[in-house]
Amino acid sequence: MLVGGRVALVTGGSRGLGRAICTTLAREGAFVAFNYARSDADADATLAAIADAGGRGSAHKVSVLDKAGLGALVKALDAVHGKIDILVNNAGFGQVVPLALMEESDWDDMLDTHVKGAFLATQAVLRVMVRERYGRVVNVGSLAGIKMMQAPVHYATAKAALKGFTEALAKEIGRYGITVNCVAPGILDEGVSDHLPPARKEEYLRHCALRRVGKLEEAADMIAFIASDRASYTNGATLVVDGAV
Amino acid sequence: MDCTSCDATPTRPDRPHTFFAHAQDTCPACGVAIEARVVLRDGAVVHLLRCLACGPQERTISDDADAWVRSFLDRGVVPDGLVGDHLFKHTTSTCPGCLALVTAQVVIRKDRVFFLKDCARCGPSEALVSEDASYYVKAYSFARAGTQPFLFRNGVEHGCPTDCGTCDDHEQHTCLPIVEVTDHCNLECPICIVDNQYSNHMEPATFAKIVDGLVEAEGTCESLALSGGEPTSHPQILELLRIACRPEIGRVVLITNGIRLGKDRAFAQAIRDLGVYVGLQLDGFTADVHEKIRGKDLVKEKAAALAAIAELDLPTQLIFVATRGVNDHQIGQVVELFLSGPQFLSLNFQPAAYTGHGGGTFGHDPADRLTIPGVIKRIDEQTGGKVKYTDFFPLPCSHPQCVSLTYLLRLGDGTSVPFARFVDFEKHATLLRSSATLPATPEVEDALTDVIHDVFARQDEIERGPEILAALRRSLDEMFPRKPLAPRETFRVSERQSKSIFLHHYMDRHDFDLERLRKCCHHYPQIDGRIMPACGFNMFHRGAAKGPNTPRARFGRAPFSLPVIG
Repeated sequence: MLVGGRVALVTGGSRGLGRAICTTLAREGAFVAFNYARSDADADATLAAIADAGGRGSAHKVSVLDKAGLGALVKALDAVHGKIDILVNNAGFGQVVPLALMEESDWDDMLDTHVKGAFLATQAVLRVMVRERYGRVVNVGSLAGIKMMQAPVHYATAKAALKGFTEALAKEIGRYGITVNCVAPGILDEGVSDHLPPARKEEYLRHCALRRVGKLEEAADMIAFIASDRASYTNGATLVVDGAV
Repeated sequence: MDCTSCDATPTRPDRPHTFFAHAQDTCPACGVAIEARVVLRDGAVVHLLRCLACGPQERTISDDADAWVRSFLDRGVVPDGLVGDHLFKHTTSTCPGCLALVTAQVVIRKDRVFFLKDCARCGPSEALVSEDASYYVKAYSFARAGTQPFLFRNGVEHGCPTDCGTCDDHEQHTCLPIVEVTDHCNLECPICIVDNQYSNHMEPATFAKIVDGLVEAEGTCESLALSGGEPTSHPQILELLRIACRPEIGRVVLITNGIRLGKDRAFAQAIRDLGVYVGLQLDGFTADVHEKIRGKDLVKEKAAALAAIAELDLPTQLIFVATRGVNDHQIGQVVELFLSGPQFLSLNFQPAAYTGHGGGTFGHDPADRLTIPGVIKRIDEQTGGKVKYTDFFPLPCSHPQCVSLTYLLRLGDGTSVPFARFVDFEKHATLLRSSATLPATPEVEDALTDVIHDVFARQDEIERGPEILAALRRSLDEMFPRKPLAPRETFRVSERQSKSIFLHHYMDRHDFDLERLRKCCHHYPQIDGRIMPACGFNMFHRGAAKGPNTPRARFGRAPFSLPVIG
């Protein structure tokens, strides 16, 4: 198993790619804690998926923008497990809106959830990782933050920011045995891609060498690998999972 | 960014070894007994010997320096049930009667450390050198390589201490040059460690040559202190200070009794305008203490000086000479004063050295005196643990037995917390390595990064952890503001982030230790160009090691006695 005996925290783990990440990490041996902001039913479904994968986990209803709540969550996990080995900054959402119609609140919500949320969750978890001199931080980026493609500007901006966040943080805390990487999926069959206009998907498929969208599990597998000791020398990297666009 | 028209200031090189101690040995060639310099070099332990007949020699003692150091420290463990003295090591000291260099046994007796000496002429003597044997022994583990000046004034001919100036066997550069610019004074202190002749005011041109010589030898100086006598007695003191204020000198310090500072506001303002720091002698708070130590009641004069310092916000170091039974009950009070004002940057305790015109005859018991651990213990007791015994560490810049210190971080509410509460100095020895203040070197930056992350990770366990993190954040904001600061402003801003308490035990005829002199970094530059380690100068050159008219060593040269450097 890739991450046997590890303790992971996945942000935004109740649905879509987050649930797939939780399930995959659990299948690969980790105890998986995840947070969510809205639906208890979705969280229960993720817990069930973790159990089905033969793993153990816990669900925590706290927003990634709630600094105190995240601090308490980390403290509680640390108290029980004595460590947090893996953090996956996955929390986010998609929104299709042109700049011309974008409200200031749209911009703020997008940047806050993706970027500030990653900052707050990482800062909270790093205390434990620095103490333990071990950690794997994986930020979930997007092809939209890397390549020129038609994507909502605030979404592309937020995902591009996570790439910078990854590279700078990797440099800053590598000395403590903590790696920081970014996994940037292309369009996947579920999750934030659900609401994409058909024309965008068609354009994507025209340029994708594999001529299909990805599966959630394919991105989650890469994340589990990057979070494992098998990827111990991979640091500050952004790994694209897009079937070659 | 480097200046395009100036060469970058070169960095002084490290010594090729870590000087550790002195030990008894014999010349490998002729067998004569010689005291060896024990150094750690490339993982080995080597005795460096200088035989007058055979020249320089060396002998490897161990190929495993770490193991050897551990065994050395183990020698300081007194066997259970031992009655009597436990021999720890040997060194060279002085006979308190005739000042001849004599071998001293360094022994541990009831948790204290003594020198046992036996002079062929004067007979046996004993001297207390540390009130805490554990501190004394452990201090050796802080030994670090010194750096060397670009220029040694003297070559080695007969060995330490006769070739001083410094010679190229000296193990540390000049961290703190102290220029005695006058031998006039407006006090006659019963504890005075110099020997004022009231006959010399240093000429500005001579002083300028001394500063030139320092810059030539050192490249840059973090500090330059002007002392005396009482330097404010010098009729051209402001001109001397102006000469000292040059780019190669980080901080110019005027060491003063404060009398002129308190009553001459124009002078105090001039000090401020020049950006000069004050080193204020403040050994107590009551008339009886002043009378015993400084010869007269100075309560009003000290209060006036402190008022001027506060009003003009003069950056100040407080200097407290601590004497057992005289002012050691006021140690806590000076710490409280020091902690109360942002203008006080450092506090320097000097356990009294019984040398000099006054100090040489000041009443004392060499076997029951204040040493560094005794002062630290009183700081702890008299501040109610605000600053604790365990907050202090030996400073490896000089010999680790010479100076102990603690840094205190200024928190947001104006109080301070000792760095030792959140920094593991045994792990981050770099932060203590080379200087009394923290230089902006990559090694220091690296260590500070670790410290920040350590506090970040353990903030719930560390006393006042979140406040410490907030203070560290404030320090970053103030030291690296959005609008760049001029270099001198940066210096001042960085100084405001923390305070330091030092204890520096100058030596006298009782506790003189040649091993300590070997790595001395507090130096008196002389008018003839020599740069003299302070305690060696006081012991052998000043002519007052036992009070007025003490005969000088045959190699002794009095201050102001040789031609001015060309």
